[in-house]
This record gives sequence, C-alpha cells and structure tokens, in this order.
Amino acid sequence: MSKPSKSKLRKLRTIILTLAVFAAAAALAGESSSSSNDQLPAGPMQEKAVAACSTCHEARIIVQQRLSKPAWTKEVDKMIKWGAEVDPKDRDALIDYFSANFGSDQPAYAAPRSATQSTAQSKAKK
Amino acid sequence: MTSRRDFLKTASAAALVAGAAQPLLSWAAEDFVPIPGKDGLIVRSSRFLDLETPVEFMTSWITPVNHFFVRNHMFEPAKFDAKAWQLSITGEVEKPLTLTLADLEKLSVHSIVNTVECAGNGRSLQNPKVPGIQWGKGAVGNARFSGPSMKTLLEKAGVKDTAKHVQFRGLDQVPGKVPPFIRSIPIDKAMDADTLVATKMNGAPLTAHHGFPARAVTPGWAGAASCKWLTEIAVLDKPAEGNFMNPGYRLPNTPVKPGEAVKPEDTHSVTALTVKSLIAAPCDGAKLRAHAYLIQGVAWAGEADITKVQISTDAGATWNEAKLGRDQAKYAWRLWNYSWKPAKSGDYVVFSRATDSQGRVQPEAPAWNPSGYLFNAYDQVKVNVQAQ
Repeated sequence: MSKPSKSKLRKLRTIILTLAVFAAAAALAGESSSSSNDQLPAGPMQEKAVAACSTCHEARIIVQQRLSKPAWTKEVDKMIKWGAEVDPKDRDALIDYFSANFGSDQPAYAAPRSATQSTAQSKAKK
Repeated sequence: MTSRRDFLKTASAAALVAGAAQPLLSWAAEDFVPIPGKDGLIVRSSRFLDLETPVEFMTSWITPVNHFFVRNHMFEPAKFDAKAWQLSITGEVEKPLTLTLADLEKLSVHSIVNTVECAGNGRSLQNPKVPGIQWGKGAVGNARFSGPSMKTLLEKAGVKDTAKHVQFRGLDQVPGKVPPFIRSIPIDKAMDADTLVATKMNGAPLTAHHGFPARAVTPGWAGAASCKWLTEIAVLDKPAEGNFMNPGYRLPNTPVKPGEAVKPEDTHSVTALTVKSLIAAPCDGAKLRAHAYLIQGVAWAGEADITKVQISTDAGATWNEAKLGRDQAKYAWRLWNYSWKPAKSGDYVVFSRATDSQGRVQPEAPAWNPSGYLFNAYDQVKVNVQAQ
C-alpha cells in the first residue's frame, strides 16, 4: 500500500474528530436524566402556579416566555378567563412571580429535543 | 484548482462537523422527551404538543413525517375507531351531508405538495418579545397531501348563494373554559381545487399528530387555516367568530412600531404566507474548516412562486444569487444552494433573502406585530472560517 497523502490524512483526522464528538454527545445524552428545565422555580407562588396552570398545559409553556409585567398581567387575566383557578387575592403575586422569573431580560430558554419512544428507551438502557 | 469531487467531499466532511455535531451537543445537554413518531425535534411543549423542526433538517424537498413540525392548540383527540369517524357538511348548503371515511375514500383523490408554516414561526426572534409559543425558525415543513378536493364535498352538499366563509371544527379536546379552535376561510379559497380534505401525508394515512383521519389543507396559507382532526365543515354567510378569528390570528392593517398597541378594528386575519427563506447549513455558530462550502436552505412564498434567493456573506454589503433546486410545485418550497469559497479565514455573517413572483422581497427587519406572526426578516447565521 502506498503512503497515504497529506490530504487523505487530513480527511481521516476530520472523520476521527467527528466520531469523537458524536461519542461525547452520546455519553452526555446517556448521563443527563435529571436536568429537566421544564419546572416552575421555587418561590411562594410555585405551588399555586402549578395548581392553576398545569390542568391545561405543562410548565414549559410558561418557562419559555420572556415578557414585561404588563404583558404578564394580560396573560394571567386571559388564563383566568379561560378557566385557570386563581384566588383573586393571589392574582397580583402570581403576576409578580412570573414577571420576576420570566421577564424580558432573562436569557432565552433552551428547549430539549424529542425522541421516538424506541430511541429514548435504547438511550435509557445505555 | 479543487475538483468537483474534492469539493463535495470536503463540503460533506465540513457539514458533518459543523452541521451535525453542534446541534447534537446542545441536544445532549438536555433530556430527551419521548414522543412517538417524532425524532430529534425541538420540544416547545409536550402537553399540549408543539414541536419544531431544527433548520439543519431542511435539506430535503419533502419533509419526512417524523421530522415535520407539530402545532396543537389543544389536546389531541383520544384514540378512536376510524370507522366511527364522521364529517358533516352543514350551514348554507342545499343538502347537509354526513360522510364516513369510507365515503371519503370513494371520491377522486387530488394531491398537492404544500409548505405548511405556523403563523407564529419565528416569534422568538421578534423584539420586543411577545407571548405565545416561542418558535425559533422551524415551525415549517413541506409535504405531499392527498385526499378529495374540498370543492367536491361542498358541491355534493350544494353551496347556497349566501355562502361567504367555510368554518372548520376539529375533534381536539378543549380544556377548561378555553375557547375551541374554530376558524374559517373565504368560500373562494375553500372552492379552489387545491384546497383538500386530506387523508394522507407523504403517501401514508395521516398520523394522530397531523390530524388523523382527515384534515383541511388550505394551500399557501398559514397552518391555522388547515384544521386537523376535521369533523365539521360549516358554510357560513359571514366569517367565523371566536377567539381564534379575533383577536387571534390578526395582523395590523398598517405597519406599527415595535411594542406599539394595535386596536382590534385596525387589524385583518392572517391568510396566505409571505416570502421567506431559511439557511439549513451551515448552522449558526458553526466553525467551518474548509476552503469551499455549500450554503443550503429552503425558500417559500405562500401562494406565489420563489423567483430568486440571494446570499450575502458580508452581512448584506454584497449579494450573490443562489441556485434553485429542481423540485418545485405550486405551493411548495424550493431548495437552494450557493457554493461559497471564503477568500480568507475569519468571522462571517451569512444572510439569505428570497424574492417572489409578486415582487415581494424578504425584508431586512421583520414587520413587528403584537402576536409575532409571519416573521420573515432575512435569515442569518454567524460562522467562523478557518480555511485549510
């Protein structure tokens, strides 16, 4: 066999690097099982927010918003109109809780990826 | 000089490193959310289901169903026997009808390839931020839909002269006191031969996430006009009412300043999609280790045709025309590519901008609106090139 050319070596290096990145990614994916970022944060209103919102949708829909206090006020009032059970004396505190945690100055929410059940199961086994 | 073969090899190796590895890494940092039939999509919500297609998947003309975005406003209907499903045609018709799936299957089948985009696609890129599912770039896909023309059904029922709009209702389950997802389209669009009651997507029966057993497909229009799990078509003498017609799915009649409030009477319904392109490769933030790279993407324009896609690799100072892909259909997106040979190493901002047969050009800045609909500013990715 002839000596591999410099460009072939370079390609080989690219492939090895790529495989290494894939392997690292797969390992990370196997380990992460508790990094769920779809929960409402701790605070005096956490429990009441879960009770009011989670009948209709998961917390992730709240967690991904980045809104000003006036915008949160409109959302909370709309949801109360649509059936969210909020004690009138909790309304303002709920708006404050969402505005403080999911205001327009917060960094963007990083969404997870989906996997078909079979893929998820095979990943869990690893 | 680089031969075409060498170029392709280098480009595909670069695509592997730059295109595939980076999303995998960001993906690995999170849990996988198990969702039957949907692989590698960005989970905007798992209950109710809202899934986004990562832009790096958009290198094939037809989007496979397992990669196709999902936008649900409510809960999907509980599993039911397709034999028990019925579709009623009511309202301003001579002879109201009720059809079963077997009845539908006896009608002549029409197929269209249609790019479906959620009206809120790109909402997260609006500034100031607006409430709603925070879609990135990928609430869009292109599929072949098949089934009878809606016109065939409407003609069977005999549309009266009073007909103005056609309202759709699906079987999705509405929680709490949430208003049901009911919308309507003008009678002329409903009577267009390309508007379907589709039972198939890419040649297979619709899956539950995409509206099994039948859905409206209103081609070239925002996805909200293509009601899933269709069970009632009501012909009306005026547009439908309710939250999802007003205040939902409305745009300001005249441009507004970002953040400005808009009065309900100064708005109109979202209908056809606008002109838009997306860059599928390279990914934003990619490190390119090649002296030649194939920039690739998709472009669509609702009811119009894409006539041109231009690429700038110097943040808009100069533009180069991309090559449009061979595959095309009236309401379908076009693939495009541009063979880029960066002159030197460094950081680059790559823009794409599409032009359509109505003379519309993708704008530099989005037309901000309070609900963040129809975002179509230039697409852009930032890349770092270290030419070898």
